[in-house]
Amino acid sequence: METLAAVIETLNLKKTYMLDSLPIHALRGIDLKVEKGDLISILGPSGCGKSTLLNMLGALDKPTEGRVIIEGTDISSFNSGQLSELRRKIGFVFQFFNLIPRYTAKKNVEMPLIIAGMKKKQRSEKSENLLVSVGLKDRINHKATALSGGERQRVAIARALANNPSYLLMDEPTGNTDSKTSQEIVDLIKTLNREDEVTTIIVTHDRQVAKQTKRILKMLDGQIVES
Amino acid sequence: MELAEILSYAFSAIKLRKLRAGLTILGIAIGITALVGLLAMTQGFQASVQVQLQRGFATDAVVVTTQNLGFGYQVKDFQMQINDTATINSLDNIKQSVAIIQKGCYAKSGNLTESVNVVGVDFSSYASIYPNSFVAKGGSIPNGPQYADAIIGVRVNDPWKNGTLFTGIDQEFDILYTTRIGFQFINQTLTAKTVALLGEIGGSTLGGPSDYSVYIPLSTAEDFFATNQTSTIIVQLQKSDQNSIEQTSKAIETAFNNEVLVVSSASIFNTIDSVMVRVQMLMTGVIAISLLVAGVGIMNIMIISLMERTKEIGIMKAIGMKDGTVLSVFLSESIIMGLIGTLSGIGFGYLLAFGINQLDLLGGMINSATEGTIMGGIPLYPILTPTNLLSALGFGLAVSIFFGIYPAWRASRLQPVDALRYE
Repeated sequence: METLAAVIETLNLKKTYMLDSLPIHALRGIDLKVEKGDLISILGPSGCGKSTLLNMLGALDKPTEGRVIIEGTDISSFNSGQLSELRRKIGFVFQFFNLIPRYTAKKNVEMPLIIAGMKKKQRSEKSENLLVSVGLKDRINHKATALSGGERQRVAIARALANNPSYLLMDEPTGNTDSKTSQEIVDLIKTLNREDEVTTIIVTHDRQVAKQTKRILKMLDGQIVES
Repeated sequence: MELAEILSYAFSAIKLRKLRAGLTILGIAIGITALVGLLAMTQGFQASVQVQLQRGFATDAVVVTTQNLGFGYQVKDFQMQINDTATINSLDNIKQSVAIIQKGCYAKSGNLTESVNVVGVDFSSYASIYPNSFVAKGGSIPNGPQYADAIIGVRVNDPWKNGTLFTGIDQEFDILYTTRIGFQFINQTLTAKTVALLGEIGGSTLGGPSDYSVYIPLSTAEDFFATNQTSTIIVQLQKSDQNSIEQTSKAIETAFNNEVLVVSSASIFNTIDSVMVRVQMLMTGVIAISLLVAGVGIMNIMIISLMERTKEIGIMKAIGMKDGTVLSVFLSESIIMGLIGTLSGIGFGYLLAFGINQLDLLGGMINSATEGTIMGGIPLYPILTPTNLLSALGFGLAVSIFFGIYPAWRASRLQPVDALRYE
């Protein structure tokens, strides 16, 4: 699988939300460097800012202060169109799968390819191959609502991989699955990282998952406390 | 993202909310149905009036009448006499003038009795003013008619259009006329002989020949109806340009102390047209309001859809969908609904216009309202031109775009992280 040089860097990244006119400091100055081929887990309790950090790295949210540098480019000044283009190079996997319920597994995986403007025949082939590679050969034409939690997460991973992303960001990918399915998903992530060199960052609060990654970053109160 | 994919995505979202979308589409369809039906009717009416005026009314003639030019009657003290034609003939620019006596009677032949409009008129003068419509299809119009000679309009002879004929050439029939003196009704009968049958005129206006009339010599009418009063004098002019018509009309009105109305085909058409334009404006206003309501319906369903699909928009944005594409998807949804509503509205409007015509509801109403007046019976046929259909289509689409743009814009402005968090 083709991958681009995936280097992510954050400099003094801060994010402050206003909640009932009270400032909530979700990130308090994060400095982070991710090298190509990394498999990193970010571990921490609920509300420590893990997901906020992941959203910044995935160009889904903008920092209040500091910079996010992706492949050497500071994305802080990107306009909406540039951010959309950038998101096509990032594979994002959400805790609650976030599939389109009325679509089949295949159509869900096809969506990023449709958005990117790929021709029908190519995208059909590619999405089927991706579903086969995540072990869903027999579930290709099943509706998202007819799949189990583990299967939905696999579809979400296949969708994240559709555009040959430079890196994969996963927000609690095993948060809604049983331990057996969790392990299967972690194995799949490890395989992708090892064989296809997909740079991956996993946000989790599950130590068992974190232990299996190459690097663990621990977060607390909006800061990285251990790396 | 390709256009076909945008449309397919929009369509799949509409299919999710079939009932709601269906009701919104129905709202648009009702508005467009009314619009198309109205356009077809008014245009048909205008065209019909124009055709009737061209066919039934000589362009070089004006009609002097004591009747008011509207639907129904207005009682006036002033009456014109038959010999008032002499007054008119003494004016400038007059070729000839012909007085007519018109009465509602019954015609009876064997077992058949029907209500007819009996017109007493000088045959040859009438034929010279209306050379295209006062033409015999059977028999001939006599130059020096006998007392009981009668000329029959086509609908008098074949009232049901099925070949059951009322009379034939040289056959006799009775004209029954009832007058009242005090509390006494007097029935009179004239046994007339058919000498000519007119061809189909297709309704008529302004004292011109009509399919529903029986024509008898003027002197016979004077005698039979025991009157020398006339409600209508037809005046043929020497010069018939707009200016001459206006000047002569004014001169005639002055000669009768403004007690009469002088009308030309152009003036009656303008009167009818201006009434129709006002009716059309009023109806268009009502239809515009109904389309406005339908448009608000579109906006409503799109905003609900936006709220229900906020998370989905977040997902789409997270996987790279651009703001413009989100806008296109949402706008396509309202345009698809608008288009389906508009197209079905055009279809229903077409059926409505032609259905009403087929059942002869409005046409019959207008025909019977104008029958027996100097406007004659005006039949109505709906007309749908491509311009009408295109403007209905344009209007429907404009409404769906106008009311769809705000929800689409709001959807496109959603921030992915906020949209994904939306519950």
